[in-house]
Amino acid sequence: MRPLDWVVLGGALTAIVSYGLYKGRGSDTMSKYLLAGKTMPWYAMALSIMATQASAITFISTTGQAYVDGMRFVQFYFGMPIAMVILSATAVPLFHRANVYTAYEFLEKRFDTKTRALASIVFLIQRGLAVGLSLYAPAIVLAVIFGWPDRLTTLVMGALITIYTVTGGIKAVTWTDVQQMIIILCGLVVAFFMIVHMLPSGISFLDALYLAGATGKLNAVDMKFDLNNRYNLWSGLIGGCFLALSYFGCDQSQVQRYLTGKSIAQSKLSLLFTAMAKIPMQFLILFVGAMVFVFFLFERPPLLFQNVAMNQLQSPALREQFAPIDTRFGQAFEQRKQAAEAMADARRLHDDSRRAASLAMYRSAQVEINNLRASGAKLYQESSGEKGFNDTNYIFLSFVTRYLPPGVVGLLIAVIFAAAMSSSSGEVNSLATVTVIDVYRRHIRPQATDRHYLWVSRLATAFWASYAVFFAQYAKKLGSLIEAVNLLGSLFYGSLLGVFVLAFWFRRVSGTGAFVGMLVGEAAIFAAYWFTSISFLWYNVIGCVVVIATGVAVSIARPIERPA
Amino acid sequence: MIHSSVMPPPDRAHLPDEPPPFLGTWPRVYAAILVYLAALITLFYVFTRMFS
Repeated sequence: MRPLDWVVLGGALTAIVSYGLYKGRGSDTMSKYLLAGKTMPWYAMALSIMATQASAITFISTTGQAYVDGMRFVQFYFGMPIAMVILSATAVPLFHRANVYTAYEFLEKRFDTKTRALASIVFLIQRGLAVGLSLYAPAIVLAVIFGWPDRLTTLVMGALITIYTVTGGIKAVTWTDVQQMIIILCGLVVAFFMIVHMLPSGISFLDALYLAGATGKLNAVDMKFDLNNRYNLWSGLIGGCFLALSYFGCDQSQVQRYLTGKSIAQSKLSLLFTAMAKIPMQFLILFVGAMVFVFFLFERPPLLFQNVAMNQLQSPALREQFAPIDTRFGQAFEQRKQAAEAMADARRLHDDSRRAASLAMYRSAQVEINNLRASGAKLYQESSGEKGFNDTNYIFLSFVTRYLPPGVVGLLIAVIFAAAMSSSSGEVNSLATVTVIDVYRRHIRPQATDRHYLWVSRLATAFWASYAVFFAQYAKKLGSLIEAVNLLGSLFYGSLLGVFVLAFWFRRVSGTGAFVGMLVGEAAIFAAYWFTSISFLWYNVIGCVVVIATGVAVSIARPIERPA
Repeated sequence: MIHSSVMPPPDRAHLPDEPPPFLGTWPRVYAAILVYLAALITLFYVFTRMFS
């Protein structure tokens, strides 16, 4: 980081906090603090929804994923527009008319207290486990790239979001999300143009596209149906739709965004705009990753993108074992570079036989590079004792810090901060809302003044922000459990979705039916997780279907008693 | 009475569903979104095939 980068980063962070404090003024009632007094326009809600969903790891990891695995991850979002249409037609008007603060409050109006309580607890566990990770994940990557202490980074990010989230409530969160989303989009566009500009002089954008395609990085659509393949058109459309229905329809961190709308129409527009903008945005992020791969066809990349691992491999203790790997890596890179140049030439000359020969040469060099990277990783793991080494998350930032000019590096680090802060502030805000509305006001102190609830909301927000920072401070000690925690989130969505589907469309289902359905649905998801190899995207479908079937069956067996 | 000391919430049970600012009705807007999705997938499919 050079002085200009610090100026850009500092300026962006100061602007975010100042803007949050400014826009959050006047949040002096519980309704204004938790629902912005229902005054938000559609574009602010839409950008806030997108910013809350896009975590820092989305930018760090997704670009790396495109580098390694191509663009097929974009299919994960194909079900989202379908889900948004369904939610706009059903959930949005129902939530607005029920005049609720939380999605789970609606469940009591429709079913009973125990169903609301169970759904609230599921949300608090699932979101509570994830909230610190939004801060921790980017901090650990920045620690490796820049050597910044990860605890200090999480503390700074946590302190910044606490300032505007506690004082301004959801209004501050939403408007800072808008600003953060603008920073994120600007950063992405600048990164894209910089990469294209930095390609070798003989390589045009069309050549880069051709090379990315020939090397398997532009695999945006895979039509083959395979339950065990995480990303294909069908898992994206069906599994992705269920996941988006769960996330945008049952997760308070998203529902609360569109509950702040001025009207039903404004809330609907916010979801539909997100549906239209999200896929192109994700495509752009992945495309940036694919272009980074093309860039490294002509510029020698490090054997491993993680600095700590590379420093250890180059240390005197490992130098002797590492030297032959490094030499062979250099040779394989040169062979791959020649193959890439030959492929680009063949494309321009429409020479099919040369194209085939150079592609074969590329593939052989790429296999050698992959093997050498695996050897390097193995050597590092053996010497450090670290298991499951993976440098995907370091690819993009490694490129940014080595090749991009001063100012742009600061902008892209600001993007990482903005993404982490927008996700965390939304999560903290929603956790506080559920704690106050579904727990405190419902079960502990139901008859207090509005001012009392406002202060409890502020305290709850401060508590969850502190909890997020505290959890992030100790996340390192969880080690590989972090993956398990992430997975844990996906284990709960299906049953939450199922109970809301019952609430919206199955009028004869009783509270007991919904409650038992949720429990059985959870059991089915855990059974699928433990005993099958089915991709996690399908858990939402399984959970939802089981909750509906059980809820209907229980309600038929024990119908609601209606007065004669 | 629950929440007696809190301001009573405004009645929103009969909140009207305003028409969208374009295309006249919401079903038309929903259809447009689904057509957009289909177009996007087709475009990505062509993109994949063209450069594979």
